[in-house]
Amino acid sequence: MPLENHERARLLLDRALVEGISVEDRRWLDSHTGQCAECSRYADLQARAVRALDAFAFEVDPAAVLRVENLVRSRAERMRSAESQERSLWIGTAVAILLTLAGSAVTWYPAAWLAAQWSLPSRAWQIGFAAFWWLPSLLLALLPLLRRRLMGEDSDSKGQTV
Amino acid sequence: MVAVVTAFSRVAETESECIARALRSRDSEFIGRMVSQYHYRLLRYLVYWTSRREQAEDLVQETWLRVLEHAGQYNGRLRFEPWLFSIARNLAIDHLRKQKKGSGKVSDVSGDEAGLNLPAPDFESPFLAAARSEDAQRIAAALGALEPIYREALLLRFQEDLSLAEIAQIAGAPIPTVSSRIHRGLAMLEAALGGGSDAA
Repeated sequence: MPLENHERARLLLDRALVEGISVEDRRWLDSHTGQCAECSRYADLQARAVRALDAFAFEVDPAAVLRVENLVRSRAERMRSAESQERSLWIGTAVAILLTLAGSAVTWYPAAWLAAQWSLPSRAWQIGFAAFWWLPSLLLALLPLLRRRLMGEDSDSKGQTV
Repeated sequence: MVAVVTAFSRVAETESECIARALRSRDSEFIGRMVSQYHYRLLRYLVYWTSRREQAEDLVQETWLRVLEHAGQYNGRLRFEPWLFSIARNLAIDHLRKQKKGSGKVSDVSGDEAGLNLPAPDFESPFLAAARSEDAQRIAAALGALEPIYREALLLRFQEDLSLAEIAQIAGAPIPTVSSRIHRGLAMLEAALGGGSDAA
């Protein structure tokens, strides 16, 4: 039997195990290993190697599984609660900003009228309007960002300890 | 009608999508069940990587915490296992790097994990402990001598039954590289078995 046939058979045996081969190649391989004792032994060896891998069974300690399960569950619950709080805060901030915008539109003209009555320079009342109307809202809007940053640092440090 | 549509969409939802949804919504009941369902496979994979049972158990825990942290990155379009194993793999590699630095054996390990040789075992190998047959003991010795990347490829292909593309996704390597790792790992195992039967 030509040497190339044995090489082809081994190559196909390897490929069959790892990525699969065509029906035609499979037919050729079966016929070759049926006649060739050496290649047939190689195929058996390969099958034994794969079967032997299955012989490794690691015993699992149920207490260890439960410990990991409880830890992961409690972490998931904490994360869900933190995310829910954060979501509420963002919604609150968005509502506050929207109300500020709506309120600004409504109060801008009365403020301008009052400033005219008291003969205030336009720059002065506009700065006052921005400081007393906009500043509180902007601070409120910044709160979730600051909180998120603090929470991020906190969860990082928690992650290290596990 | 809405209830029927909802029920139908739930049925149509694949397992991966279901997992993705549970992870995103932090469904602790579902996640808890997943932890126990995947525990053995994850532990076995990490034992194959680290060769140390205790370290593998710690890494299983870290893997799940990392899964929770990065839950938003899993969209459920692909199978969950490759994503889970790739997280475990990154943790195992980081762990082995730290271990190597700690032991003073700092080598030129950069992005290539092939340089991650395990430290000399000062314990009974978990492979030997798990080997129950004569064949398995010979294989255990051969597995212990293999580099983790070959052990990993063998495990994922023949025990986890993952496709070459999925293994490539986990290992971050091209499919031909994965294929050659499997061939090489198998060749070493076959040599161990062949030597054994010749001797017998």
